[in-house]
Amino acid sequence: MITCRAITKVFAMGTAKLEALRGVDIAIEAGEFISIMGPSGSGKSTLMNIIGCLDTPTAGTYLLDGREVAGMTFDQLAEARNRKIGFVFQNFNLLPYASAYENIELPMLFNGKSARQRRQRVEELLAQVGLADWRRHRPSELSGGQQQRIAIARALANDPPVILADEPTGNLDSASGEEIMALFNGLWRQGRTLVMVTHDPKIAAHSQRTVKLLDGRVVA
Amino acid sequence: MIAAFLVNFLRDLRRQPLRTVLTLSGVVWGTFSVAVLIAFGASVHRMQIKRAHGMGQNLVIAWPSRTTMPYGGFLKGHVVRLSAEDVEALPSRVSGIRRISPEFILPRRIRFGRQELNNSVRGVNPAFAVMRNTIPQTGRFIDPSDLERRRRVCFIGNTLAQDLFRGDTAVGRDIFIEGVPFIVVGVMKEKQQNSNYSGQRDEHCAFIPWTTFSALYGEKYVSNFLFQPEDPAGSKPLIRDLRRLLGRRLGFDPRDEDALFIWDVTELEQKFIAFFAAFTIFLGVIGSFTLLVGGVGVASIMLVVVEERTREIGVKLAVGAKRRTILRQFFAEAQALILFGGGIGFLLASLAVAATSRIKAVTDSVGTPVIDPVVSVSTVAVLLLIGTVSGLMPARRAAAVDPIQALRK
Repeated sequence: MITCRAITKVFAMGTAKLEALRGVDIAIEAGEFISIMGPSGSGKSTLMNIIGCLDTPTAGTYLLDGREVAGMTFDQLAEARNRKIGFVFQNFNLLPYASAYENIELPMLFNGKSARQRRQRVEELLAQVGLADWRRHRPSELSGGQQQRIAIARALANDPPVILADEPTGNLDSASGEEIMALFNGLWRQGRTLVMVTHDPKIAAHSQRTVKLLDGRVVA
Repeated sequence: MIAAFLVNFLRDLRRQPLRTVLTLSGVVWGTFSVAVLIAFGASVHRMQIKRAHGMGQNLVIAWPSRTTMPYGGFLKGHVVRLSAEDVEALPSRVSGIRRISPEFILPRRIRFGRQELNNSVRGVNPAFAVMRNTIPQTGRFIDPSDLERRRRVCFIGNTLAQDLFRGDTAVGRDIFIEGVPFIVVGVMKEKQQNSNYSGQRDEHCAFIPWTTFSALYGEKYVSNFLFQPEDPAGSKPLIRDLRRLLGRRLGFDPRDEDALFIWDVTELEQKFIAFFAAFTIFLGVIGSFTLLVGGVGVASIMLVVVEERTREIGVKLAVGAKRRTILRQFFAEAQALILFGGGIGFLLASLAVAATSRIKAVTDSVGTPVIDPVVSVSTVAVLLLIGTVSGLMPARRAAAVDPIQALRK
């Protein structure tokens, strides 16, 4: 599903160059659940951005679902993010003034689904994350765990094969964190590919395997 | 998609009510002032034209006077006199005159029953009615057979009719002018008249055939004469020809402008039209600049909004919005904001115009203002243009947001 070969990413910081990734090779099969661990500055965020099609590598190749991502234009990347990938962030990144319903609907506004299709899908997802009664609430009226469940529902809106989660339980208490991990486990069992960044070994223990990054290289 | 856009747009407006009001106020005020200024400007213009037409249309008036230059053996100060017959003969001697009428004017005692007034009586021919817009409300104006047979008939101004008859029927009644009975054949329709000459305004006057006037009062030479050129724009060469002809016949230098004093009303009207065109352009420009300032306000607010909503843009980009989607969204928001403000401005303007149209004091002085459809369309066009300009920069900035940076905020 995800194949990274010799990925490097260099940021130009004025005259200095910062090598965030120095030849990363990762292959993730469809239906796998892996976690990426590493200390801050190890390049895991950069790798997530590249896997998530928010950024492109300086060198190397990245195949997502069999397609080369490296040379894509911004709008092609946007389309890939829209259809292939669902994002779950540490700080949820919900639209603060939109209702739970509208937040879940958002990704479907960018690929021309009809109003009826959108409504049906949002209802489905609200039920799936157990927040059907909260559809009209704004993020600020929901608990952290509830917000993250809305964010997961949003990630699932276009039924993407890959879910990328960046410290999904980082801002949550352990009980909510466990709920979220249970939800992720359910998604994995449905056959989705899950890639999760974390530095909590207990959370990483939910995944099938762990990739450790250090100084822009895979160490384990 | 459009519904979702509108919901979002209205929510954004409601979220920051003060800012929305301040942003919109520039556009609202701009639109309001353009629409109202031009509505009133056009109304004043129409009113003035109407009043000018109350005096007459495409009219030139000439007064034989005294020479101020020696000519043909006469010293200056020689009196220039012209008979009514000479006036009537002018169109056959000078080409380019469509209509002409001699005019005699004297104040006369006019009596009906116990009402007696000392008003102006004008001796004219039937062409006078067309030139000076003395249109009958009831009855008719003096006709050619009245003139030919020197009938003692009169056409009276509406105020004179009111003063004499107190609302009773006037047509067909006998009135006495200097003790001589005249039959009233018509009453003038009320008109707006902003200028006049030699005596009272038309509403106070009695008009009689000049032949009758001349015979009764022993007047041979006209007070003045008035004519319409064939071509309203070509009054100047016609006046020159006329001065040359009359100068030769009556003994004055054609360059002696005071010998035959001429009031070219057509010239005045052309100046007037030019002035109002300039005035309307002036108002339009002022209004457009006001709108532009409003547009600058919208642009700067939209830039702040983009700044504030960077995170939102980041989220949208992350879940698959294309750059052009974001561009369109912010562009449409700026446009919608400006059109919304413009709509309110138009609404207020039409309310203001409707309100003032009810006040008689206003309509009497500036006429009835109307929101001009041409002005509306062009204002909307200007609004769209300003919306485009003021929406483009914020929208481009929004679309250029780096999602990675935005999500980190």
